[in-house]
Amino acid sequence: MVEIGAVSITLAFFVSVYVAVASFIGARTGRREFVRSAENGAFGVVFLLTVSSSALVYALLTRDFSLKYVASNTSRDLSTFYTITAFWAGQAGSLLLWAWILSIYMALVVVYHRKKDRLLMPYILGTIAVVSSFFVYLLAFVESPFERLPFALEDGRGLNPLLQNPYMAIHPLSLYLGYVGITVPYAFAMGALLSGSMGDEWIKGSRKWTILSWTFLGIGLILGARWAYLELGWGGYWAWDPVENAAFMPWLTATAFLHSVMIQEKKGMLKKWNVFLIIITFFFALFGTFITRSGIVSSVHSFAQSDIGPYFLVFIGFVLVFSFLMFVLRLDSLRSENRFDSILSRESAFLFNNIVFLGAAFSVFLGTIFPIVSEVVRGEKILVGPPYFNRVNVPIGLILILLMGVGPLISWRKASKENLIRNFSYPVVLCILVMLALFIGGIREITPLLSFGLCAFVVATVFLEFIRGVRVRVRRGENPLVSLVKMVSKNRRRYGGYIVHLGVVLIVIGITASSSFVVQKEATLRAGESMSVGNYTLRFEGLNQYTTRSKHVTAARITVYNSDKKIDEMAPEKNVYRFEGNREINQETEVALRSTFKEDLYIILTDFDSEGKATFRVLINPMVSWIWAGGGVVVLGAVISIWPRMSERREEIVRYSVEVSKNGTVKI
Amino acid sequence: MKNRKIAIAIGIVLLVFSYLVYGGVKEAKVYYLTVTELKERMPSVYREKVRVSGKVVPGSIKKEEDGGLRFRISDGNETIEVRYKGVVPDIFRDGVEAIVEGKYSPENVFFANVLLAKCPTKYESADELLKNKKENT
Repeated sequence: MVEIGAVSITLAFFVSVYVAVASFIGARTGRREFVRSAENGAFGVVFLLTVSSSALVYALLTRDFSLKYVASNTSRDLSTFYTITAFWAGQAGSLLLWAWILSIYMALVVVYHRKKDRLLMPYILGTIAVVSSFFVYLLAFVESPFERLPFALEDGRGLNPLLQNPYMAIHPLSLYLGYVGITVPYAFAMGALLSGSMGDEWIKGSRKWTILSWTFLGIGLILGARWAYLELGWGGYWAWDPVENAAFMPWLTATAFLHSVMIQEKKGMLKKWNVFLIIITFFFALFGTFITRSGIVSSVHSFAQSDIGPYFLVFIGFVLVFSFLMFVLRLDSLRSENRFDSILSRESAFLFNNIVFLGAAFSVFLGTIFPIVSEVVRGEKILVGPPYFNRVNVPIGLILILLMGVGPLISWRKASKENLIRNFSYPVVLCILVMLALFIGGIREITPLLSFGLCAFVVATVFLEFIRGVRVRVRRGENPLVSLVKMVSKNRRRYGGYIVHLGVVLIVIGITASSSFVVQKEATLRAGESMSVGNYTLRFEGLNQYTTRSKHVTAARITVYNSDKKIDEMAPEKNVYRFEGNREINQETEVALRSTFKEDLYIILTDFDSEGKATFRVLINPMVSWIWAGGGVVVLGAVISIWPRMSERREEIVRYSVEVSKNGTVKI
Repeated sequence: MKNRKIAIAIGIVLLVFSYLVYGGVKEAKVYYLTVTELKERMPSVYREKVRVSGKVVPGSIKKEEDGGLRFRISDGNETIEVRYKGVVPDIFRDGVEAIVEGKYSPENVFFANVLLAKCPTKYESADELLKNKKENT
């Protein structure tokens, strides 16, 4: 099996190169047989990489400790589930996963687009194949998952305990689906640039692929945050760690792209900007993989490092130079068909949304690479920590929420006074009322006041949209519920987008509350003693020590009272792994969490001694669960907006409805 | 020209951005030093917030009465004494690469308010993997 896996990787490299070459020859000469052969080659690559991936899974499951990868990442006592997830626990496996996912995307693109986008197809395929060749090259010749040890070991070193968490098992997978998926819209853009057909085809073709990878990136980010919250045991979920930033940057620019393509579709504007954005997004996706994998900046999330960094730098450099060269060559054909008529218009709201998103991405980028830049420029390593990111991104975030409320309701071209009053008077009133109520309620800090107020503003605008849409249909004699369902299903993209906005609002509320109003307390207790935090009283009952199959567990039994009423029992743990291979982690802290929609009670057992004394750090994090719930709503909205349409006629309806709304009314 | 208004607005946005970034960097910058570099900058470094990395000297980790931690870190050349109170990362132990952030006091003690530990890289050479095994069995 192992030999088959190694051989198919090598073959996959040559086939990838062939697909790239044949596509470009076919595209240049117009000879269909080359293109057809390349398309078949794409299926060859996905087949070969599926074989290698299966071979690796097989080696992992059979505990083939003659393989370095298996010996480094698994052990005999590891459960089957985590043995499979060890596939992407290390460097070589992660690369294989990257390449494999890419080959699947490549094959899907061939299946869905070879008939529809004949002109672009060879270039699209060629571009994806070049990227694929790079990754498969690394796998075949630099960092193979099938590298053998001189002799087989008795047992492996085991999987890092921090990675033995269900979230960690799926979060990298989701992130990779996102990172890799960005390749597809990038390839469509390159297809347009290379073929010189700079119409909207590339945007129409790649739209759903972009939303798809954007969604996966978002899920990956949320799951990563949740993992950090549960597993790293410091009470927070986001630390502006380089690896977190690495996934956040392409997400930001992809979000900008998703918005600005609408302007190109509807108005024929921002064409250059869109090409530029997708190139930058692809750059960030590659850069993210590079940061995670090269160990160039220190991070709590990077679990594998090696010397593939230089290869990545060369490839990223090549991508940037080539893309921007093509971009400059085609600038002429990227002329805008329309001009901005007014600063108070939907076009300019979208433009500012884009600038702000790009600015956010750039500021995060700058903060992430600051140590490297300062070392090169001044010879000193200077870091900028979370204060930098918060200071820059909190105002940016507030502006984005404001634009999120303004964008969907303001009219195209030029907003009239009537339009502004009609659409924004209720939301603005609600916004002010919410801020006033919170101020009276005792909140005096400006950031949460603004944030909650703006969230209310957005929610009001979204509801206004839904209510108006439904009301129009009800007037025609429809049942309100039926008309709501019909309205959403006929304009999936639009209402899906609104639902995404609502999800983002929930996330923002959660982030604002949990970052502004944390209560924290630390205490050392003997058995029987209590401490009180906020409304809670925690009684420490004693320590429980026992040994399971894989670890020695010390659990502190705590009874939780809410003003004299017993509400729960909780048990934060500190564990020592039995197995030597896992000893690189001294102790593993398992926090105890009691989560409600109001707040999370988060207990960390920081220390204990032989006399039974234990030290706890207790946090009350308000509304953290809103973040996870909001993530779910975002995904729901995204799924609604990419769900396949019944027919392409719907597109015309969307355009029509927008035409009408120019007069300030929204009709469907 | 209508586009001029847009251009001015974009200009303002960019200025605000630059201000935010500039202010943020100024406020949040932290020098990242090795233990030797810290010692070289000795008098001037006392009041500055710095981040220092080094290996935890084996056997130097001591718990204090108040639950705080005392240990030494070294870059192979110079060594400093560190005091820290707070959440200790799971992978913190003898010999690990630790990163501390805080201030160095004139009594030659580093008061840290942040303690990070770097994951030892999984990708050791095959030789080391084999050697490890032999010691354990």
